[in-house]
Amino acid sequence: MAAQLTLQAPLALPPAEVQPYLQRLWSTDLQGAAGASTFTLVIYEASWLQQQLIRTGRLDGPITGLLDRSLIEQAKQAVADCGLPLSTAAMDQRLAWALGQHPGQHQPEDLRGQFVDTAISEHMPRRLITLAPTLDASLPLEARVAAFCPLVDEGAGAAQACGDVVVLRGGLGSLQQGLPLVDPLVDQGLPCWVWWNSSLDEAPELLDALARPGRRLVVDSSLGAPRRCIDLLVERIQSGQAVNDLNWMRLRTWRESLAMVFDPPSRREALDHVVQLDIDVEGDHTLKGLLLAAWIADRLGWHLINSFAVDGDGAGSGVGAEFQRTDGATVQFRLMPVPVGVPRTHPGAMVGLRLICAPPGRTALCVILCSESGGCMRLEAGGMASMELLEEVVPVPDESEEMELARLLGGGHDTTNPLLAAAAPVAARLLPA
Amino acid sequence: MAAMSEVLTNPLRVGLRQERVVSPQCLVIFGASGDLTHRKLIPALFELFRQRRLPSEFAVLGCARRPWSDEEFRQRMAEAMADDIAQHSSAWEQFSACLHYEPVDLQDPPTVVRLGERLDLIDRQRATRGNRTFYLSVSPAFYGSGCRALAAAGLLSDPARSRVVIEKPFGTDYASAQALNKVVQACAQENQIFRIDHYLGKETVQNILVLRFANTIFEPIWNRNYIANVQITAAETVGVEERAGYYESSGALRDMVQNHLTQILALTAMEPPGRFDPESMRNEKAKVLQAARLATPEEPWKCCVRGQYGPGGSAERPIAGYRQEPGVNPQSTTETYVATKLFINNWRWQGVPFYIRTGKRLPKRLSEVVLTFREAPVHLFDAAGGAPTPNQLILRIQPDEGADIRFEVKAPGSGMRSRPVDMAFSYDESFGEPSDEGYVRLLADAMLGDPTLYTRSDEVEAAWRLYTPLIELMEESPEQVPVHPYEARTWGPAAADNLLAEDGLAWRRP
Repeated sequence: MAAQLTLQAPLALPPAEVQPYLQRLWSTDLQGAAGASTFTLVIYEASWLQQQLIRTGRLDGPITGLLDRSLIEQAKQAVADCGLPLSTAAMDQRLAWALGQHPGQHQPEDLRGQFVDTAISEHMPRRLITLAPTLDASLPLEARVAAFCPLVDEGAGAAQACGDVVVLRGGLGSLQQGLPLVDPLVDQGLPCWVWWNSSLDEAPELLDALARPGRRLVVDSSLGAPRRCIDLLVERIQSGQAVNDLNWMRLRTWRESLAMVFDPPSRREALDHVVQLDIDVEGDHTLKGLLLAAWIADRLGWHLINSFAVDGDGAGSGVGAEFQRTDGATVQFRLMPVPVGVPRTHPGAMVGLRLICAPPGRTALCVILCSESGGCMRLEAGGMASMELLEEVVPVPDESEEMELARLLGGGHDTTNPLLAAAAPVAARLLPA
Repeated sequence: MAAMSEVLTNPLRVGLRQERVVSPQCLVIFGASGDLTHRKLIPALFELFRQRRLPSEFAVLGCARRPWSDEEFRQRMAEAMADDIAQHSSAWEQFSACLHYEPVDLQDPPTVVRLGERLDLIDRQRATRGNRTFYLSVSPAFYGSGCRALAAAGLLSDPARSRVVIEKPFGTDYASAQALNKVVQACAQENQIFRIDHYLGKETVQNILVLRFANTIFEPIWNRNYIANVQITAAETVGVEERAGYYESSGALRDMVQNHLTQILALTAMEPPGRFDPESMRNEKAKVLQAARLATPEEPWKCCVRGQYGPGGSAERPIAGYRQEPGVNPQSTTETYVATKLFINNWRWQGVPFYIRTGKRLPKRLSEVVLTFREAPVHLFDAAGGAPTPNQLILRIQPDEGADIRFEVKAPGSGMRSRPVDMAFSYDESFGEPSDEGYVRLLADAMLGDPTLYTRSDEVEAAWRLYTPLIELMEESPEQVPVHPYEARTWGPAAADNLLAEDGLAWRRP
């Protein structure tokens, strides 16, 4: 979906002038229009990878913050150039860091926050506040302000006055100092979403300050160290904050495909007799696979007995665990990192899942789900000749971050999805210390 | 087969049905003190809430003339849904907080202005973003004036943010439907108008589309070259119940055939749309309805049979006849049964008869579509039944939802005799979960602004026009389409059997 610019050139203002300017804009220039009674969206838009690719001349500017096809292609090329393992995903923060070691001085125009994806603008945010940290940590805080209107169908009512866009840009230190500007810009009477569109490892104080209680947090737990990501998810969920995890949302087709296998009532009983669960993921980021395992364990009422690191066959450490079923029997779990030649964009994408059920007195059932983007030969190998085999291919959804976010904005909840709320603590305990 | 309540729930399915979440908005129900609100609408919304398909920025505003408060409205809904709520009390507590009430008389402009103010307040209180769906669950006599009142108050002026849902019946004949369309289209754009037909909310009715257009094996034979005839049946075991007042002026033709069964006809006979979007879908449905004709439009009495149930049942459990039902005129000539024969004059269906029947107090409750294929050109084998049974595709809409294909196989033994068998698909066996009530799907679609399963003005008019010769005859010379009595709990009058017997056919006895 094409992104669109704000309808007027953004105005550069001294940061302290932003709030008075906006008050003036709405009260005088827009003749007292109230603006859309919708929500505020605060985005932390680091875009380190795009900034580094452009700085090193691998990608043309401007910096937009959008994860487009050319960026991903160049990122894949850069993985090899930087000597990183081929399994390294484009969005793996190690790639941006490695690029940071390469020379380059390209300084493109920075349009972060001024692009508004149509999927998001259709929901008419009342205010979009973008915090855009720059590679140059010494840059002072700059502010840009623009009125914003979604493109509406011809004939739509006149009451489409919309919202505004505020961009705060500078080095991380400057952004920290500019934080007091943000809170007054957030309308207390409207829902506020905070999208942390970067690694959860970075700038924890900034994250804490933006994602205050009562605001709806959107994160991506595939970006950042698994322990930090899952601990943050659990902490925020348990504090009562509405947490939305794009990494969890990308598991949608896996949850659906596995549920579909057990839709026929004749297969349901097998779920009471699971003896083994195996999951393969790309590279060494284990969290997505653990969230899926945790969801299965929670739904089937399994109790975690122990978890431990296992040798990942050269691709990082895997995770082993034992669960206890409701009838006391044991379920063996293994999550293995798998080296892949063509990784997906985000770290830790699912490769395959195998679930073995052994109902007493009946033929064992082996369910294998494979990602359509690659095979899962490891899970298909060994010892299944005597079992009833069910093999399904899980489609890979082709949706941008903005589409995922728009889905959230379009039907917002002020609580965390209960499935994620139940699975996250289990995943946290599954991840070995 | 195990009953649904005995089937184990799929624990992995719980909580996954969240793919289409309604946008923040306020649903305004006119006629909130009426039966439909507490029997269907609020339960459907509560179901959507429990499926997490309603956002937190959501409100329901009940409107009627009674001077209820928010709390009284909540209390009345809670009383009417006590059984449902008992199992989900904490969910109800959360859900009921979004129920509000405003006394409104759509014929009284000041109260409609006050409604607008209340909606603005709800927008501010619940961040519903100015999105509004107005549901007219009122007497059909007020559909037009209700729309006018909303338009006059400026509540329909933004087509992107407001829409209006209109219950059935949409008109009582072609002329009244046209007139009503003119009124509502003067108040709102067509894409804001959602004319409901709750049959389209049924999973199995929607499955007709998927079966036809998501598979390659059916569509090549879905035409006059392979299909000999089509039967569409909607049979009810119940009588007129508490609806005598409405039914007396409506009858089976207006109550079932013109809307529900004609929509099924359209889905069964339409051409494949280029895309699955509302306009492509509705274009094709309208086209096929515009091509449909009574088999003998100049002599409708030859292709239509009307009936009315008389007393029946057993000595222990007698069943009253229609004329003995409370509220029914003892001399009533309202039909409780209709059978009719149609043709669709296009390349796909030329010459293929479509037989439609519906009736009350029939032996079974069921709705189905039966496509009977042409016979094999040469009979090579002896058939156990004397002659080979034609292939049939049976789409079971309710109950026991699913589909069967009937075909000939070799009967076991040393000879080469054939006999028919059924290959069956059952929703219960494949999915095991009960489908949502039709209103759940349709309410969600309306609030999502998706009119795919709602009928467009040209569809409604085409459906009325299709039966106009019959309706005119019924009104001008009712004796030409007599109402044949039939015993309650039988398959209708013998004249209906003769309608098919003249073509050498018989109704399927399910």
